[in-house]
Amino acid sequence: MAPTTIDRKRKAVTRDVPETSDAESEAEFGDGLLEGILSQSEDSDDGSDEGSEDEEEEDNELDEIETLNSDEIPSDDLESEGEETNDGLKKSNGTKANLLPELVSPSSLEEDKPNYTITTDANGGERYVYGEIDPVYDSDDSDAPGTTNTIGNIPLTFYDSYPHIGYDINGKKIMRPAKGEALDALLDSIDVPNGWTGLTDPATGKPLNLSQDELEILRRIQTNELPEEGYDPYPATVEYFTGIEEIMPLSAAPEPKRRFLPSKHEARRIMKIVRAIREGRILPYRPPQEQEEQEEEIHYDIWQDEQSRPDNIMNVPAPKMLPPGYDLSYNPPPEYLPTKAEKQTWESTDPEDRERDYLPTGYDSLRKVPGYEKFVKERFERSLDLYLAPRVRKNRLNIDPASLLPKLPRPEELKPFPTVCSTLFRGHEGRARSLAIDPSGIWLASGGDDGTVRVWELLTGRQIWSAKIGDGEAVNIVRWRPGKDAVILSAAAGEDIYLLVPPVTDPETDASSRELLDAGFGYATNATQALTANGARKDPAAKWTRPGSRLEDEGVLIKITVRTTVKVISWHRRGDFFSTVSPTAQKSAVAIHTLSKHLTQIPFRRLPGIPQTVQFHPSRPLFFVATQRTIRSYDLQKQELVKIIQPGARWISSFDIHPGGDNLIVGSYDRRLLWHDLDLSTRPYKTMRFHSKAIRAVKYHKGGFPLFADASDDGSLQIFHGKVVSDMMENATIVPVKVLKGHKVKSALGVMDVDWHPREPWLVSAGADGTCRLWM
Amino acid sequence: MGKIKKKGVSGQAKNFITRTQAVRKLQISLPDFRKLCIWKGIYPREPRNKKKASKSSTASTTFYYTKDIQYLLHEPLLQKFRDQKALEKKISKALGRGDAHDAQRLERNASRPEKTGKTKYTLDHVIRERYPTFIDALRDLDDCLSMLFLFANLPSTPTVPAKMIARCERLCLEFQHYLIVSNSLRKSFLSIKGIYYQATVQGQDILWLVPYKFNQRVTGDVDFRIMGTFVEFYQTLLGFVNFKLYTSIGLVYPPKFDKMRDDQGAELGAFSLEANGVGAIEQPKQITNRESAKPDPKLQAEIDKLMSQLNEPEKEPATSQTLAEEGEEEEQSTDTIDKFEPAAPGGDILLQPSYSATDPSTLFSNFTFFLSRETPRQPLEFILRAFGCKRIGWDAVLGEGASTHNELDPSITHQIVDRPPIQAIQEGNANEEEFEDSQTAQKLKAGTRVPGRIYVQPQWVWDCINDEELKRPDLYAPGAQLPPHLSPFVKKVRGQYDPSAPLNEQEREDEELEADSDMDEEEDLSDEDDLAVQKPKILTENEVDATAEGMDVAGSEDGESSENEDADSFGGFSDAEEEEDEATSTSLQRQRELEAELTGVALEEKEFDPRAKAKADARKKAAQRAKEEEEELGRAKMMMSRKKRKIMEKMVYSNKKKDAEAELLRAKRRKIEKSGKGAPRV
Repeated sequence: MAPTTIDRKRKAVTRDVPETSDAESEAEFGDGLLEGILSQSEDSDDGSDEGSEDEEEEDNELDEIETLNSDEIPSDDLESEGEETNDGLKKSNGTKANLLPELVSPSSLEEDKPNYTITTDANGGERYVYGEIDPVYDSDDSDAPGTTNTIGNIPLTFYDSYPHIGYDINGKKIMRPAKGEALDALLDSIDVPNGWTGLTDPATGKPLNLSQDELEILRRIQTNELPEEGYDPYPATVEYFTGIEEIMPLSAAPEPKRRFLPSKHEARRIMKIVRAIREGRILPYRPPQEQEEQEEEIHYDIWQDEQSRPDNIMNVPAPKMLPPGYDLSYNPPPEYLPTKAEKQTWESTDPEDRERDYLPTGYDSLRKVPGYEKFVKERFERSLDLYLAPRVRKNRLNIDPASLLPKLPRPEELKPFPTVCSTLFRGHEGRARSLAIDPSGIWLASGGDDGTVRVWELLTGRQIWSAKIGDGEAVNIVRWRPGKDAVILSAAAGEDIYLLVPPVTDPETDASSRELLDAGFGYATNATQALTANGARKDPAAKWTRPGSRLEDEGVLIKITVRTTVKVISWHRRGDFFSTVSPTAQKSAVAIHTLSKHLTQIPFRRLPGIPQTVQFHPSRPLFFVATQRTIRSYDLQKQELVKIIQPGARWISSFDIHPGGDNLIVGSYDRRLLWHDLDLSTRPYKTMRFHSKAIRAVKYHKGGFPLFADASDDGSLQIFHGKVVSDMMENATIVPVKVLKGHKVKSALGVMDVDWHPREPWLVSAGADGTCRLWM
Repeated sequence: MGKIKKKGVSGQAKNFITRTQAVRKLQISLPDFRKLCIWKGIYPREPRNKKKASKSSTASTTFYYTKDIQYLLHEPLLQKFRDQKALEKKISKALGRGDAHDAQRLERNASRPEKTGKTKYTLDHVIRERYPTFIDALRDLDDCLSMLFLFANLPSTPTVPAKMIARCERLCLEFQHYLIVSNSLRKSFLSIKGIYYQATVQGQDILWLVPYKFNQRVTGDVDFRIMGTFVEFYQTLLGFVNFKLYTSIGLVYPPKFDKMRDDQGAELGAFSLEANGVGAIEQPKQITNRESAKPDPKLQAEIDKLMSQLNEPEKEPATSQTLAEEGEEEEQSTDTIDKFEPAAPGGDILLQPSYSATDPSTLFSNFTFFLSRETPRQPLEFILRAFGCKRIGWDAVLGEGASTHNELDPSITHQIVDRPPIQAIQEGNANEEEFEDSQTAQKLKAGTRVPGRIYVQPQWVWDCINDEELKRPDLYAPGAQLPPHLSPFVKKVRGQYDPSAPLNEQEREDEELEADSDMDEEEDLSDEDDLAVQKPKILTENEVDATAEGMDVAGSEDGESSENEDADSFGGFSDAEEEEDEATSTSLQRQRELEAELTGVALEEKEFDPRAKAKADARKKAAQRAKEEEEELGRAKMMMSRKKRKIMEKMVYSNKKKDAEAELLRAKRRKIEKSGKGAPRV
């Protein structure tokens, strides 16, 4: 046991050597240490520095054993030894002698001897010098590297600003080793020692030098060699069992006979196969079987329990190929054969652009027909079409286009209608504003800007009678009283409405007409005047007077004066009432006059919008008033609003009621002609826009022909065939038949008024050019 | 506020799928996808709005219906394709390793339809799915038959294995046998492309095209893989259809097939049909017994009587006609529907089904045909047999299966010849000698005629079956200029040009007169090429019958020349006629008169005056009428809504095009008729 402890001790000592030197550096500071470093490096010229140390240690151990035996104080011995060694290593550890005794191990205390020696220090004081501590096996720090610097785990840089670099075990400062000064650095650069790295050992702060061995290790690591020299990573395997050849046999038994004789059993089996091959039972090479031979196409009734699938809209069956036409025949009729020019055009066009992909060819007998070159190609294209072409359902209109046309009456059925201008009535100066044909259809009355009312013979165009009624005012309207018992003409100029009896008829009619007009005077005088609330006599809506002897002589018998200018006169079918419209009047715009009583009534106190024109219903007690936008129909008996018709026009100019009473045509200044079916809707049934200018007047034929006409500012008249069937389910047929042109446009005004002959399909029109025309 | 609709999750975006997407979804290669599409009958669609249907920015071209593709996902064939693909991979891997034995072993499992003509899979279930009912299958048989008949006539190549061709041929012949037995062939048409046939099976009209027996020209841009895929499907389809058809009339399917006879070119004759549980159906026997084959003793006597006069072939038509007529008389049947004529007015009209005068199964039943060796045997045999002919003989060159190869067999009533007659110098004696010789030699010199039978060109057969009556054979005599062969598939539409009807029935009023002036100008130009087209016919005519027909030809030529003269005489002022103004034309005429006076040539006023006047009148009338019509149309249009007007204009356009076509044809025909060169019309 002893030698081991000593061994440990010794080792500890040797390891402690640098420690002590460190500790000592505190005392001896500066040159000595530096020199030591230098000298040490100088000494260890070969890499076996440690080795030499070991050898030395060995020697020392032997010495120690001897010394132990000699019962010497080991510390002393150590000291002396240390001194010796250190002396050997030059004087760098010169103070070691002083330091070493302080580190006396406690084990030495157990021995009776004090483990310290008392010496005098530099001050002459007592100083205990302890021996070296022997770290035994159990000691705590046996394996731990002795720390020379106790700064802990902090970087050295923390001490940069201090002269020391840490503290030793005794709490003394470890002074920073002198850094190479300029001169030293220079020296170093000149004479670089072996193993010099230029680095500083982070633990000690000393320059880090590497020994030759260490350098060698580094080199090997760098060159990817094993760091240890002479280490064989692949040693030859030592084969323990198999590789060793045994020379002697294990058994000495002789080889059995069967080893030398062929097997009978095997021979028998082989012969069996051979025989089989010979007999053909076994084929040495089996040819690959023809598979299709055995698989005969198996057919069965696949549609045994067929169930039809309902057709899906997304299922589009492929269209069939077109059946061949005549031109595909091998012997087509000669007219199908292409002419030279056709042939040329076919050949010159691109195959993709050709209308048909073959050229009709004729052969006079079947044997001359060659094979069709593009047969395979066409079939291939068909199959491409079948699986590549997108399919879309397209509704082909396979109907006769004529069936789309509305069912039109034949032109012969549409006739008669006016086509040409047959008579021209000249005489009016300025515009002819209005005209009317009398119920007998013989005379034509017209009124114009010159203030005259003229009566013409319709067929000849001769002026029969004329009267100037408006003094400087235009005659806005002339209308005949319906009925053949009397011939009464009504005309309006300015605020005055005149009733005239032109002297054109036989005296009897003339007399009856005058009587009819005069009859009312009695009523007018006898009638009780309407009283206002305060009892004062109410101002009558119109004044019925005699126009004066001059006019009376001419045939103008009654003058009715209303408040504002009268634009429209409309007679009731019986001829007893007539209505006038004076659009500018506020409340009394529409007035209804009773001829037999010389009475004027204002039926509407208020009207929404400016009234344009009025009409009596041809058969029922209805009264139609057209304002700018709408037409209202009132029941005169019940005195209520029946219907509001909305033609959708901006400004209604005129309207007319079909003699049947269920249809209505409306003309408007915004160039529209609208047909209303009163039973159908309040909206127009047909809208016709064939005029380029405003429509002034519209008129139905009242004498049995399904005709109506309109007059426009573009100088033309349009005649329509408008047939109304009594059948409720059938709509009216409207056919435009004729455009009549003849009137000249003067200051943007064309045709002012139209009227139909009561029986014949004749039309008269009054133009802004001062003429009236008869169209037949 | 409604829910905001996300884009691309509903409607067209979801209903349609591009091809790439579809292929990716099915995880198969594009060729496999193509196959699946062909077999399953999946085709691309045209979405109403392509932009909405495609999710990508680039315009996709092909869209499929998504549900179609989903339907494909469950296809058992898909798994087969994948298995095959895996196997191919294994083989190529083995070959890559150099393991030839392994590759060979795997190869044995692989199906190589291009080599063996056999696949590992069957398409039965596909047929059932695509055609839920038998009628559906029949409806789709047009393309199937056309394709299979084409393949039956193709030469075998690596892409078209011989086995496939043989199978196609067999299936086609089996189908033809059914048509023969059931007499369901209705029409046939000789076109420049091939021969069209139409059969009516269970109320379905099936139309298919068979190429003429020539080597088909195959261009490089034909992909036989695609065609092969179709053929594979069609073979399966026709197999099942044949089975159903055969069993429906109580026959055993497949019919017995005699390989040896087929090798000798028997074609239809290689099959022997068997009735279910009865055994083989009696096939028309080789004619051995002369008595049985004799058509009619009365006829024979008549023929014998005429024998002496029959040295000249021209006389034949007369006899043949009598024969034909007598034949027809015998065919009076009583089970037809009687036509009900209303006796008194006022009753409702009841529709009656139209019935044909002759039963197709009896059209040729009394005749024995012999086909010369230059005639197409297969179509003739098929058609004749389908229309009731039991005994057809042909030259031995044409193959096995004929009832007789002896051209001189006296039972033969009709011989179909397709070669120009050679005017052989023959005398009565020589002829008779030859007749006796040929009994042994069975050969006749070209151009000789066997008395007692009708010689016709092949077209006669086709025209007979299309019109369901026996045509006059003299029109179809060998070497005669044949009447035009008309397509029986064209439905006569009023207003369309009908070449069989006389011209004046279908042309508009005054059309001729109107057209005349236009034609005069054209005539000079078109006459030449017209002649070029017609020339060969005229030549043959001259060769054929020098007697009557020759006179006709000469006459027609005369007419033509005079026509030409006419044309020349008009040529000078045809320009003037163009103008509508009569005044100018009269002044021009005056000018001409003056010129004529100067030159001293008498002006042919009388000749052209009435005609010119009539023409001018006609033109004026037509112009006026056109104007009136136009006016009326304009008025009518005025009353239409814009939408309707557009539709109408579209329809009018196509109608006009058709009318123009018809008018052109009429004009051509008028010219031809005038020149007198046209063939006789039947």
